[in-house]
Amino acid sequence: MIDNELLTLVVRLAVGVTFIYASAYKIIEPGTFAKSLWYYHLVPGQLINLMALILPWVELVCGLALIVGLLYDGAVILVNMMMAAFILALGTTIVRGIDIDCGCFKAGQAATEAAWGALGFDLVLVLLTLQLLFSRSKCWRLS
Amino acid sequence: MIKQAAILVLLAAILGLGVNLVSPNKIAYVGSYRTLSGGNDPIVPPAAAPGDPPFIGLDVAQLEFNAGGAVFIDARETEEFDCGTIPGAVNIPFEHLPDLPLAPYFDSALSGAGKDQHLITFCSGDECDLSLHLSRNLQACGYNRLSIFFGGAREWENAGLPVERRRHCDD
Repeated sequence: MIDNELLTLVVRLAVGVTFIYASAYKIIEPGTFAKSLWYYHLVPGQLINLMALILPWVELVCGLALIVGLLYDGAVILVNMMMAAFILALGTTIVRGIDIDCGCFKAGQAATEAAWGALGFDLVLVLLTLQLLFSRSKCWRLS
Repeated sequence: MIKQAAILVLLAAILGLGVNLVSPNKIAYVGSYRTLSGGNDPIVPPAAAPGDPPFIGLDVAQLEFNAGGAVFIDARETEEFDCGTIPGAVNIPFEHLPDLPLAPYFDSALSGAGKDQHLITFCSGDECDLSLHLSRNLQACGYNRLSIFFGGAREWENAGLPVERRRHCDD
């Protein structure tokens, strides 16, 4: 079941589009995303802007790589690593009671409710990225 | 697999750092942020710039409150101000500042306080920039003893300090 070619293709496209969509506002407004990162209080101050500039592009190139099927295995590893980091960051934020705009898809979302919503969404998304990690289907790839 | 991941990250880094060079929304590659320590250290927001008034922590805000010399200015909307603020604070909602000239407006709102009066701006907490923006406007109008309490009303209330409520509000 997990190796089903069609399922893997659909999941690939869904995860790819989600990552591309999630990267868009962060690439357009790196300053706003940097501020969101700062509110997590997890990243050293000197690294926040670099992370705000690079992370959205990692999301974008991984999303494209998943859809196109180029550098596919690397993209699957990276999206799973990112999902683990996002879930950890959101989880610790909720546990610590920090009032944040999660900075996940767009700027200025309401604080804690957005964090809960984003965590729920991420837990669903991680099921999809794990499917990609364990699927042995190699169809419709360029590499 | 690892090699592919490294290629993707490298590509993303080149694109991200390169596009920032020409982006209309470019940011500094290394920002100056202060990590919230959870102690009394002042919280300094990402939007802070050189030349901004100093940021003070809860301990200094409390000292100034107890000493009684400073005027606290709540930069939030009046509805939020009414729900609970630092006792004696003046409400100057940043979102409703009039068009120029601001100087007579500030003069009236602060009951003619002198330019040397110590003013401490604050808003709800560290997700809110209103106190910073208001302090910049006050600075531009010649007020020269400004501080920003960026922990704001939330940090104040969470510390169990007195709160003045003009009406009951559901949180």
